Amino acid sequence: MRAPIGLRISTRRKALSISQAALARAVGVSPSYLNLIEGNKRQVGGTLLQRIAAELGIERDELTGEAEHRLMHELIEAFADPVLADRGMRPEDARHLVATSPGIAAVIAQLYRAYTTAMSSSDAYADRLRADPLLSQLLHQVLSGITAIRSGAEILDSVPDLSSEEQTRFLASISREALGLTAVARNLIGQFDQTSSRSRFASARQEVDDMIFAAQNHFPELEGAAATQRRRIDADGPFDEATMVHLLSRHHAVTIQRSAEPRGGKAFGYEPSSRTLWFRNTVPQSTRQFQMARLIAELNCADVLDDVPGMRRLASPMARQGARRYLATYIAGAILFPYESFLADAVALRYDVDALSERYNASFEQIAHRLVTLRRSGEAGLPFGFLRADPAGRLSKHFPLPGLLLPTSGHACPLWAIYSAFRTSGQIVRQVARFSDGSRFLFVAKAVSRASSGFTDVALPHSVLLITDILHADETVYGDGLNLSDSRLDVPVGPTCRLCTRTDCASRQEEPWSPGGESIPPTLVEV
Amino acid sequence: MPTDILIAEDEPSILEALSFVLQRAGWTVQSVTDGEAVMQAVRRMRPRVLVLDVMMPKKSGFEVLKQIRADASLRALPVLVLTAKGQQQDKRVAEELGADRFITKPYSNVDVIDTVRELLEANTAESSP
Repeated sequence: MRAPIGLRISTRRKALSISQAALARAVGVSPSYLNLIEGNKRQVGGTLLQRIAAELGIERDELTGEAEHRLMHELIEAFADPVLADRGMRPEDARHLVATSPGIAAVIAQLYRAYTTAMSSSDAYADRLRADPLLSQLLHQVLSGITAIRSGAEILDSVPDLSSEEQTRFLASISREALGLTAVARNLIGQFDQTSSRSRFASARQEVDDMIFAAQNHFPELEGAAATQRRRIDADGPFDEATMVHLLSRHHAVTIQRSAEPRGGKAFGYEPSSRTLWFRNTVPQSTRQFQMARLIAELNCADVLDDVPGMRRLASPMARQGARRYLATYIAGAILFPYESFLADAVALRYDVDALSERYNASFEQIAHRLVTLRRSGEAGLPFGFLRADPAGRLSKHFPLPGLLLPTSGHACPLWAIYSAFRTSGQIVRQVARFSDGSRFLFVAKAVSRASSGFTDVALPHSVLLITDILHADETVYGDGLNLSDSRLDVPVGPTCRLCTRTDCASRQEEPWSPGGESIPPTLVEV
Repeated sequence: MPTDILIAEDEPSILEALSFVLQRAGWTVQSVTDGEAVMQAVRRMRPRVLVLDVMMPKKSGFEVLKQIRADASLRALPVLVLTAKGQQQDKRVAEELGADRFITKPYSNVDVIDTVRELLEANTAESSP
């Protein structure tokens, strides 16, 4: 779904008391065309948008407003939730609210997020209570303990002429039961702590996502730190695995170990106590290189990680830990694929991810991830969105594309190439996806799996999706051979079934949300 | 000696307190601590009332209750069930299986005494000519 540029333009124009005709004249279009733009019936970009922004005295970014776009999406999700569905708020209401009262919209979004966190927390508790035999047993023990104590205390309190032997006996019984209850209570509390940590995990992840989004997934400080590390490595020898092994050994006494031993289901890991970085033999060189670079980042750049803007805003230790892990990975990518040369190669190879993989001895996902981060102002690559899915369809690691919001959790539209890629594992799948507001994107996906270490080791693939606006498709190798201007070949998709307005889709998996039982409002652009 | 009350309860502290207060109220009390022993004890001692805990090792109180009601010679035995959960589910099952009364833990001793007395008096009234 597109950002409400039109509404923002008209709001700003009216605030400045400029007529539609006057603005149209000033930017060199007809008033009726400007009217279509303000009604979100025509997209506007490029120099025209620049002129309009200039006439309205604001920055172009304020009109495209990516942060507001995300906010709008959050509101639409909130309005679709059963808790608010009977209010009858529609996507247009969300757009309007974000464009005219962004502060209130942000408050609503924040409240909704707090609500969903609380709901999933209580859902987790309820599930736990219902299904957990251990918890049930503990509760039984609590009740028994309390029964015994109450019964005994009542005796001490109300039975006349108790012998001292009897008194002692019941006092001892109460003591014993109280001690037993203490142990049970501790156990119970421990069980509940485990349950609440599940929801804390979800909100910690969201915090980290917010931080990454706010930075547009580009961290100049980390690029600088990575460049420094890269220079050191280059000074020591040709940039390859052997040089990094040597550096790690010399400066940090880290040894590298490769083995065929199964180590708890993991393919690689770092043991700080023995300073050993170990890899299963099935792990490819691209992974080893990446993990070495990451370890170098973690060991040498710890202070830089903490100085990244947004780190301090993270509330929980879990979020900070998750952020540090991600940022170390970011530095690793920047070390292995230095910004300027990688960008030059990407442009020269027309963003052919497999070709870049070969040139840099890297995995598809590593290259795709780096492409997303090429957002240095004035020296940026093509804007890409990124999504990853497991074979069950669950999404992880999403980096939104300016202009298109991706589902943050759960599942995406089943028609997306990210899923069809599983059916042709190892091969690139591409599609031109068309949303119901007319926006079109090039989707490029590939399912990859690690090497299996034996017959019983099921190496499940995961799928990586790169997305770019159709406007840029011809700058990529993936646009070749596609008739990008023929929209008959587009695949009509939505964001996810629940929020999708396509009523005639044969692949629909979930009922669309419709406010108050009304039918979905018609799409803005004829599909 | 005829037994007035047979208590089937596995938690020793609860059993101790319960025995004590029921004896203090003037009744003769015997006890068993697991579900399998209950049937045997009931047949041997022929108590006038059975106080039955639902959650016991080896055999649950519900199973015992079902067995008692299936035995013609024991069908009329008044049974007070002690439940630990107090959920509607437990109550319903207890009623369906033929419990005469039930009390939810944690309880007041007075409630147990009063209920046992009710059951004993009803039984006496029924069996007196």
